[in-house]
Amino acid sequence: MSSLLTVRDLSVAIGAANPVDGVSFDIAAGETFSLLGESGCGKSMTALALMRLLPAAARTAGGEVAFGGRSLMALPESEMRTLRGGGMAMIFQEPGTSLNPVMTVGKQIGEAIALHGGKVSAVDLLDAVGIPDAARRASEYPFQLSGGMKQRAMIAMALAGAPELLIADEPTTALDVTIQAQVLDLLRELQRSRGMAMLLISHDLGVVSRMADHVGVMYAGQLVEVAPRDRFFAEAAHPYSRALFAALPDAARRGGELASIPGSVPPLDTRFTGCRFADRCAEVVPACREAPPPWRELGEGHRARCIRIGEEKSALATRQEKPEKPGTDHVSSAFAPLLSVTDLAVHFPIRRGVLQRVVGHVRAVDGVSLELAAGRTLALVGESGCGKTTAGKAILHLIPPTAGSVRLDGRPLAGLAARDMQMVFQDPFGSLNPRLRIGDIIAEGMRALAIAGNHAARIGELLGQVGLAAEMAGRWPHEFSGGQRQRIAVARALAVNPRLLVLDEPTSALDVSVQAQILNLLRELQGRLGLAYLFITHNIAVVDYLAHEVAVMYLGRIVERGTAADVLRAPRHPYTQALLSAVPRIEADGTERVVLAGDMPSPANPPSGCHFHPRCPHAAEACRLDYPREVAVSPTHRVRCVLVAAVATGGPD
Amino acid sequence: MLAYIVRRLLYAIPILIGVNLITFALFFVVNSPDDMARMQLGVKRVTPEAIDKWKMERGYDKPLLWNAKAAGIDQATETIFFRKSARMFAFDFGRADDGRDIAREIRGRMAPSLAVALPVFALGLFAAVSFALLLVYFRASYLDFAGVVLCVAMMSVSGLFYIIGGQWLVSKIWHLVPISGYAGGLDTAKFIVLPVIISVVGGIGSSTRWYRTLFLEEISKDYVRTARAKGLSERAVLFGHVLRNALIPILTGVVVLIPLLFMGSLLIESFFGIPGLGSYTIDAINAQDFAVVRAMVFIGSLLYIVGLLLTDISYTLVDPRVRLQ
Amino acid sequence: MKPVLLWSDALLFLLLALVFAGGWWSRRQAHLRDAWQKVGAGGTAMAAATVLAAFLVVGVLDSVHYRERLPDAGNEPGKGPVAYSNEVLSALDALLLPLKTRTEKTYSAPLATHLFAKESLDGEGRDFPRLKHGGAHLGAALDGHDGDVAARVVIGFGIGVALWLPLWLFARWRKFGGSGTAIRAVLGTALVLLLIAGPVASLAAGYHVLGTDKVGQDVLYLTLKSIRTGLLIGTLTTLIMLPAAVLLGILAGYVGGWVDDLIQYLYTVLNSIPGVLLIAAAVLMMQVIIDTHPDWFATAAARADARLLALCLILGVTSWTGLARLLRGETLKLREMDYVQAARAFGVGRLAIMLRHILPNLMHIVLIALVMDFSGLVLAEAVLSYVGIGVDPNTISFGAMINAARMELAREPMVWWSLAAAFAFMFALVLAANLFADAVRDAFDPRAVK
Repeated sequence: MSSLLTVRDLSVAIGAANPVDGVSFDIAAGETFSLLGESGCGKSMTALALMRLLPAAARTAGGEVAFGGRSLMALPESEMRTLRGGGMAMIFQEPGTSLNPVMTVGKQIGEAIALHGGKVSAVDLLDAVGIPDAARRASEYPFQLSGGMKQRAMIAMALAGAPELLIADEPTTALDVTIQAQVLDLLRELQRSRGMAMLLISHDLGVVSRMADHVGVMYAGQLVEVAPRDRFFAEAAHPYSRALFAALPDAARRGGELASIPGSVPPLDTRFTGCRFADRCAEVVPACREAPPPWRELGEGHRARCIRIGEEKSALATRQEKPEKPGTDHVSSAFAPLLSVTDLAVHFPIRRGVLQRVVGHVRAVDGVSLELAAGRTLALVGESGCGKTTAGKAILHLIPPTAGSVRLDGRPLAGLAARDMQMVFQDPFGSLNPRLRIGDIIAEGMRALAIAGNHAARIGELLGQVGLAAEMAGRWPHEFSGGQRQRIAVARALAVNPRLLVLDEPTSALDVSVQAQILNLLRELQGRLGLAYLFITHNIAVVDYLAHEVAVMYLGRIVERGTAADVLRAPRHPYTQALLSAVPRIEADGTERVVLAGDMPSPANPPSGCHFHPRCPHAAEACRLDYPREVAVSPTHRVRCVLVAAVATGGPD
Repeated sequence: MLAYIVRRLLYAIPILIGVNLITFALFFVVNSPDDMARMQLGVKRVTPEAIDKWKMERGYDKPLLWNAKAAGIDQATETIFFRKSARMFAFDFGRADDGRDIAREIRGRMAPSLAVALPVFALGLFAAVSFALLLVYFRASYLDFAGVVLCVAMMSVSGLFYIIGGQWLVSKIWHLVPISGYAGGLDTAKFIVLPVIISVVGGIGSSTRWYRTLFLEEISKDYVRTARAKGLSERAVLFGHVLRNALIPILTGVVVLIPLLFMGSLLIESFFGIPGLGSYTIDAINAQDFAVVRAMVFIGSLLYIVGLLLTDISYTLVDPRVRLQ
Repeated sequence: MKPVLLWSDALLFLLLALVFAGGWWSRRQAHLRDAWQKVGAGGTAMAAATVLAAFLVVGVLDSVHYRERLPDAGNEPGKGPVAYSNEVLSALDALLLPLKTRTEKTYSAPLATHLFAKESLDGEGRDFPRLKHGGAHLGAALDGHDGDVAARVVIGFGIGVALWLPLWLFARWRKFGGSGTAIRAVLGTALVLLLIAGPVASLAAGYHVLGTDKVGQDVLYLTLKSIRTGLLIGTLTTLIMLPAAVLLGILAGYVGGWVDDLIQYLYTVLNSIPGVLLIAAAVLMMQVIIDTHPDWFATAAARADARLLALCLILGVTSWTGLARLLRGETLKLREMDYVQAARAFGVGRLAIMLRHILPNLMHIVLIALVMDFSGLVLAEAVLSYVGIGVDPNTISFGAMINAARMELAREPMVWWSLAAAFAFMFALVLAANLFADAVRDAFDPRAVK
């Protein structure tokens, strides 16, 4: 197979740093090559260098790129422009900001068509990427489109020049999982029908597994392993690749420790002598640090950059798959619940008109009930905009609930219960005040609640508990990486000895190797301190690994709840089924996938009857009429769906 | 959108009332009319009779807010507040110290003010946006650097020196145009060309630099990268995408100034002897003619509020996100 | 001698104390230290800072005020009440005493020995009269004029270099610049300043280096005295308005609701009155108050000082709205930050959150506003004084100088030196302030575009 794109020794320099350092790979016509790696490893820089669209501070420092036999690095800018969008097109991670906000979608696509002499119209292209009512959408502005539609419009724009190569930089990372499934399917379908090659950049092993023909793993600016998809997923050779697999949370590793990679990705300006992964590698030997490891051919296009390949079976491989601890998952919630929430609602008024009268409400949370016992984890699962974070904050009374009750130990809460419930936030960079030292940050709660005792000693103890050194109390937040900041945020919450933590997507901003560290920490703290977790997330794999009970939220309401086994193994609600099946998995399990059509409606104007019926593959006439009652399918498993009600043997509770 | 504009219009009323109250307090409460009279007539050796006469002539002999001596509705209207402040809402500003009707004077002086201010505004905006685009097109080059240095240097010169230097060079050394004065009709051009050029040059440094920053901010956004990835040339990106987006803050920033153009420019008009509202204001300040200053404060605020309203409307025109939501 | 502390002096010293305290405190705050180091590493910024420091030295010297003790009239020394002069002098006046006292009759050109205008002399027709002080040491023989000037310039250079060398040695000895500070820019600028100041000083001993004005005052003296006015207006205005702007901006943003509505209403109202007119109205009113209460002020200087402060206050009232609006917007963003939410989850009170979490994260905006406003205010002072609503007519300021000088532009030949002097000094001050402000903004604003 002759290759369409050949990259040899490509390097990019930003000042003295080399975010891309000697990267070589080939992409054949029609195939998908996937660059896999954590943030900051140079994947996006590589793609931008191919397009010669590097930011002003960066420049290509060396190497050769040939596209269809033409050398790109020597091409004059005017010819490069005809190639951009014509021969090779690119789509980006953030569809929200990647479209010009003041130009209609149709015009933006038309611009690309005009540039590359295409015969199609913008409406045709929008049609081709599956946007319903394409003619109307073409005359709309980006802000009128949902995130998924914007990404489809981006794809339509990329298709305008009928490119031979599509570079997709994390195309679905900003999207919800059900929308991600739609977009991935679309990309696959377009690629097949048009014979496009694709360079797919992703940090998600599941996405890569679903899409790639070949995989290249990047670490600290270099490729460390290249392999055909099947070989890579069957027998990844580089310790880093294998560590990535081992760090993935899922049900098989429940109760056990995830194999996290210590530390974090080295900063860009690090000077390396030996193997770049050596400092974090579980199998490191002194020779690793002496010289950069050479490529080692493993046959069938599989090669890796590690001197230890072929030596004795590594420690990592044997360490995986600890057996599940018996009993952890089957404790029935016979205890009195620590937290019990009944019919919680948060409505935000919508004001309109001259006098700003309230004309309606955004029903962000609309009657949520749940229970959580001490020492247990309840995962509140849902896509963005379903109200899960608002629900979490309303339980803490950070947002005043509009209706419903929150009981702690059976006593109703009227305001904050700061000593008992604390929260850990999603963004590790926004959750620590940059103007306070770590010690002051952790001490804040103790001071506010006037907790007696030696605060300094307690801060040291807390830092130790979350795996940091006590001396770090005097340092500033900017000196810490994302994972470390999240540890500090946990320590801050623990400082007041709460019994319940609301964890709002605590790992979604982190790389998978760091995510594993935080999940291990949370699991260990729960075992030691008997904490209850309300774990708010969209990440099903994390839920599968950590949660005892699961509640699935859709448009402000819980549609299904039960034990993790109930909900994740035997989902009854069509939405839960679709959500689970949309998650890209490494192991192709052969089951039929349910792909949802359309987007989540606005909570300001939810559909009548069951909120899910417009997207539901099984919707019946009855679904349009009333919101379904909650039905118990087993003592622990409750669903709100008409279809389930019809077959359930147990009556309503 | 209509509701939005109506709401903004209604909001203007309490603001105008607030302005009115502040000026009233400033002119009549902080200092009593007696104080003003004493100052105008000379602090020493002033008889109470002279003060009363001065106050009578100007209608300052009434009570401030409530006339207990009058009857009926006159209790409220025969007061300084009603006569001097409230009547401004009807554009009745009374008479200046020289006896002329202020409202009439203002109407007559708007045209000369506009004759200078309007070209300054249009040319200045055009020149600054063009220079900023030029610098941005050649960003991070020596041209850009030199341009920014020039802008900062030009910003650091007081406006007074631009005027003095310009008058000296163009009128006195080169004898190109009259040094000052004003005439109606076609002759106007001869008199306004120098003030216009000087104003544009004097303001171009800071506005160019400000617009350049806006353009650079815009150019670092994601959609610009998308436009480049489409294969658009740098020029097309700049004019087709960046300019349009950067114009939103630029336009909405300058729209508020448009109504205020009526007020003219204090310095330019006084240096060049242009009989506009700017020189009217300066003369009033120098003559301590409180009635005129008060009238100008009221008109200025009114125009500013109109500017705010126009800003809101211009937002809805240039930004589809505001228009359609 | 009796020290006099004018209100503006007190505020200036308070400001300096705040700057020093802030500097000392920020050494222990990592982010502030880093940002200042970034400022310190910039050559242009440090050169500008050096120029500003020179201006500041002049301004501070001019802010140490005192009243001379009058010689006891008639009485025996030591007896009777001690009388003090009504004239308030400053340390700068004491240093520049020769310049201050050696006034001529009217205009004279820089370094001139004769008046600028012909006058009728006793019985000898009309000619340029000899100056009383300028070049008086030359006696009747004026051939030595050029040679004398040249000699004084050379001596001045010598003085400049002699003053600079210790600085240079001190910098080398203490190894300044080791941490990346652009010490060479500082030393270079200092050298240039001293090479200008040296000859000027040595010439000033015998001549009017920048000429004299209409009433024969030395223009160099006037220019140096103007510096204090410019500095005060540029700094005190912001200092006076800061507390209000910060307090109201944060309150509006964090508390929201009717408090927000009220504060927004307040600043829209103030904003809608054209600035110049509000200042004019307020200054006129202030003048009435000052004039009708002459008994409030012991000296003319105190009266002029009151007007200066009033001007700062009024300028502050017209300019706080911009900063308050900026801070309100930023507070609205900050209050949604997770660390604020975390503090709320602990039940930390509103006031504590505003002080611990909001205010420190707004300080960079305040600092940037402080340095960015300075140059605009210095320029504004000139315009306002020109219009007649600036500082007291007795206060020496750039605006007053320009105003007095512009009438003479029509003269043939032109009296240019007052204008040129005011232009040069203002330009140096404002340019340095602008460059320094840019560096501060780039270092402190996380969103600054390079």
